[in-house]
Amino acid sequence: MSELSRDALLNIVRDAYERHDPVPDHLVAAMQAAAAMAASDLDLELMELVERSTELAGARGSTSYTLRFVHGDTDLLLRIAVDNGRSRVDGWIVPAEPMTIRALPGEEPVTHEAVVSDSGRFALTDLPVGLMRLRLEPHDGSRPAFATPTFEI
Amino acid sequence: MTRSGGQRADDDRADDARPGAVWAEATDGFNRWVAGDPTGLDDLVAVMTPVLWHVVRAYRLPEAAAEDVIQNTWLALVRRRAAIIDPVAVGGWLTTTARREAWRTAGAKTTPTPVEDDDLAQALPRQRSAEDSVVQHDEGDRLWHAVDGLPERCRRLLRIVAFENRPDYRELATELGMPVGSIGPTRGRCLAKLRVALIEAGGI
Repeated sequence: MSELSRDALLNIVRDAYERHDPVPDHLVAAMQAAAAMAASDLDLELMELVERSTELAGARGSTSYTLRFVHGDTDLLLRIAVDNGRSRVDGWIVPAEPMTIRALPGEEPVTHEAVVSDSGRFALTDLPVGLMRLRLEPHDGSRPAFATPTFEI
Repeated sequence: MTRSGGQRADDDRADDARPGAVWAEATDGFNRWVAGDPTGLDDLVAVMTPVLWHVVRAYRLPEAAAEDVIQNTWLALVRRRAAIIDPVAVGGWLTTTARREAWRTAGAKTTPTPVEDDDLAQALPRQRSAEDSVVQHDEGDRLWHAVDGLPERCRRLLRIVAFENRPDYRELATELGMPVGSIGPTRGRCLAKLRVALIEAGGI
């Protein structure tokens, strides 16, 4: 009879699952990105919400409203429109400054991003509804990134 | 830790089935990250994500749900890293957190369909690299059928024990709907069943 030890048996179990239910190829890189993003958010400075317009109901269940955030000298105005379960964010940054805006939807791992134009405007389209946060990354590397608090669309 | 059912002198050592290097590397990465080196976090994620995959998949979650559980586990680690007082325990903290979330997620979805899909996916031959020889294939298949043919409870328990470092028996007992004291004996019976299945399959 076999004298397979517990260790040897557990090795067989491990090998069997590693062969037949292997870790998906993309998983480690995706988790590294998610963890790194969360870690960099830890010391992210938050903008402050200073104004929120009442919702304006449009035709066929579409709505839109505005949010205004400030952080230091930067003013961020957002117009959020929801239509058919997807949302669109039009933003305006004053003073205009080259930066990348990243939408961090709560549920979807995919991030949407836009670059601010010379006039300080940007648009993020086809976003999911739900919890959302914008991360603002100045292209001037000496300026730290900052973010809006989480808001619900 | 509650331990029972171990009669053999090497019982404690035998629990460290996973090569200890994984846990030491996890601790090392965690320490470097906390000290301010972001590559420490990368290394921690790289070494522990495969372990979390197997632990979470033991709960029969579909791939997408398993990936969500693993991602939430990493986000929890980042946000609550101050709560991890003992860096040596970081691997156990991760697997425990992942198991809890997997158990909750699996319990929330009572529809049996995803499980059946999962069964099919596991039964289908995975694409293997070209250098796999036919001999290895046959050998691997025999081992797989022995493992896969075990009762559900054995498969889950052995997969968790095989990939984890000293899982918490109290929580495992709750999740498997068993008394705490019966985990050790059940594991022993499951290993005995596997030994028999391997012999019958000619895999050893």
